[in-house]
Amino acid sequence: MAVLTLRNVTKTYGSGDKKVEALKETNFEAERGELIAIVGPSGSGKSTFLTIVGGLLTPSTGEVIINGANFAKIKEKRRSKLRLKEIGFILQASNTVPFLSVNNQFKLLDRVKDRNMNKMQLDSLLKDLDIDHLRNKYPTDLSGGERQRLAIARALYTHPTIILADEPTASLDSERAFEVIELLQRETKSKNTTTIVVTHDTRLIDYFDKVYNMTDGTLTLERIKEQPVEEQ
Amino acid sequence: MMFLAWHEMKRNKLRFTLIMGVLMLVAYLVFFLSGLATGLQTINREAVDKWEADAIVLTDESDKSLFQSIMTWEKEKELKADKVAPIGQWSAIANDGEEKQNVSYFAVQPDTFIMPNVVEGEAFEKPFEVIANDSLEKQGFQLGDTFKLSGSDEQLTIVGFTDESRFNAAPVIYGSFDTFYALKYGEAAEGNDTLLNGFVIRTDEKLSKVTKEETLEVVPIETFIENLPGYSEQNMTLNAMIYFLLVISAVIVAIFLYVLTVQKTSIFGIMKAQGISNGYLARSVVAQTFILSFVGVAIGFGLTLLTGEFLPDAVPVTFDIPTMLTYGAIFIVVAIVGSLFSVRTIVKIDPLKAIGGS
Repeated sequence: MAVLTLRNVTKTYGSGDKKVEALKETNFEAERGELIAIVGPSGSGKSTFLTIVGGLLTPSTGEVIINGANFAKIKEKRRSKLRLKEIGFILQASNTVPFLSVNNQFKLLDRVKDRNMNKMQLDSLLKDLDIDHLRNKYPTDLSGGERQRLAIARALYTHPTIILADEPTASLDSERAFEVIELLQRETKSKNTTTIVVTHDTRLIDYFDKVYNMTDGTLTLERIKEQPVEEQ
Repeated sequence: MMFLAWHEMKRNKLRFTLIMGVLMLVAYLVFFLSGLATGLQTINREAVDKWEADAIVLTDESDKSLFQSIMTWEKEKELKADKVAPIGQWSAIANDGEEKQNVSYFAVQPDTFIMPNVVEGEAFEKPFEVIANDSLEKQGFQLGDTFKLSGSDEQLTIVGFTDESRFNAAPVIYGSFDTFYALKYGEAAEGNDTLLNGFVIRTDEKLSKVTKEETLEVVPIETFIENLPGYSEQNMTLNAMIYFLLVISAVIVAIFLYVLTVQKTSIFGIMKAQGISNGYLARSVVAQTFILSFVGVAIGFGLTLLTGEFLPDAVPVTFDIPTMLTYGAIFIVVAIVGSLFSVRTIVKIDPLKAIGGS
C-alpha cells in the first residue's frame, strides 16, 4: 500500500474572475523507500504541493492520505501530532530555533516526541553531515550551509515516515550538495522512508527514483529511474 | 516545558533581565505599600487588639466613638457578659519640658483583663503613677521620668513600660480611674467620678444578648476598629493602590510578552510546522512568565525587608510576612493571567505564513 496518496486534490485561491488554480486536480502516490524529485519553474505550485502533503495547507478538494489517515479532514490539533510523528520538514527558511544550541535543538524534540534517534545514531548522523564539532554553537554562529545541514539532521532525527525538503541543497556547494543528496538517499533506503524533494538543482536528478514536473499547477511524471515501476 | 523558557532566557539575558527588573520594582512597591498599610493599621489598633475582646459597649449616641461615649458606672448592672472591663479614655499632649507628644490615656482597673502587661518596671499603684507604651521610651522617656498632660498641672510618673500599645496613632498611657478624673476634670473631679467612656467585654454568647438597655450599643471589636477616625479611609486608599499595582503588573506582563511573541512569530511558526503543539508552546510562555515573576517577586521581597532595616522608626512600616506572601502569590498569578493574552496569539499563528510558504 502506498504510504502517501493524493486523490483528486486541488487548491484554488479567490473566487469568480480572480480565481487562481494553484494546484489543478492531482493524483499522486508514493511508496516507502522512494526518493522523489519535483522540478519546475518557481510559482508553478511546487510549494503548494509540498505544504499540502505536509498538512500545513488544507486542499480545496480531494484527499491526502498518510499512513491511512486523511490529512485533509482532521482538526489542526491532530494534524500537528501527525506532523510531529510522520513528517520531517527541511525548509528553505532555516527551521532551527535561534535561541537553542545545536545540541538543544535535538533535546527539544526529545521533549515533545518519543522514539527519536538514540545518541549513537545522532553522533553518526552529525559526523556524516560534518557538523559534529558545532554541537554547542547557536544557529546564528553557523554558516548557511551548516545551518542547512543542521535542518536536515533535525528532520531525520524523529525517524519520519515522509521527509519533505524544499530546496535542501540551494545554499550548498557542489561537493556538499552531492553529499547531502547521497545522505537523503541512504536514509530513504535504509530506513524505508519516503523523501520528496522540491529542487531546481539539475545536477542531482540522477539520484532520484522518480522525477515529477510541475508546470502551472499540473503535476506530471517525467522519468522513472528503475524498473519495475508501474505508470499511474 | 521549562526547557524552551529557560534556554530562551539564558540566550537573551539582557531582554529578560529588564522585564524581570520591571516586575521586581512593581513587586517591591506592592510589598512596601502593604507594609505601610499594615504599619498604619497597627499604630491605630494595636492597643485594642491587645484586649483580645469580643466587643465594646458604648452609648448609642456616640456613633461608635470611644471618646464621644460617656455613661455612668451604673450601666454595668445592665450588662451580661463573661468579663466586663470598664474603660476611660482621654487624648492629650504629654510634655516633659523638652518633648511634646500626642498620647492617649486609658483609665483601667488593675484587676480587669484590659490591664496591660508590664515589660519593664512595675504596675501603677499610687495616684499619678502610669504605665507607658515603650514607643515613648524610644523617644527619650525613661522609668521615673515625670511629665504633664495638656490641660492639667498634675505631674505623672512613669513606673513601668508595656509594649504594643498604640491607639489611633498615639502611644497609650495606662493609669487608674482616680488619676483619670483628676487629670480630666481637675478640681471638679469630685462630681464627675461617676462617669466613664465604656465597657470592654468578653463573652461566648451572642452580642445581642449582652444588654437590653436602649441607650447602649454593643459594638463588635472589628467594627469599633474600622470606625476609628481615618482608619477605613487609610486602608481603602492603600489597598486601592495595591490593587491598581497588581492590575498594572498584569498589563506590563501582557504587553512585554505580546511584543516578544510577535517578534517570535516565525520561530513559533517553524516549531508548529514541525508538529510541536500549541499546548507545549503556550505552557512554555506561561512557564517563562512564572520564572520571571517568581524571581522578580523574590528579589522584590528581599529588597523590601532590606529597606525596612534602614528606615527610621518614624516611618510606620510593619512587614507582616503572611500578608506579603499572599500578595506575592497574587502577583505571580496575575502575571500569568497577563501572559495568557499571548497564548491566544500563539494559537492563531499560521505555521504556513510563518515559514514563508504560500
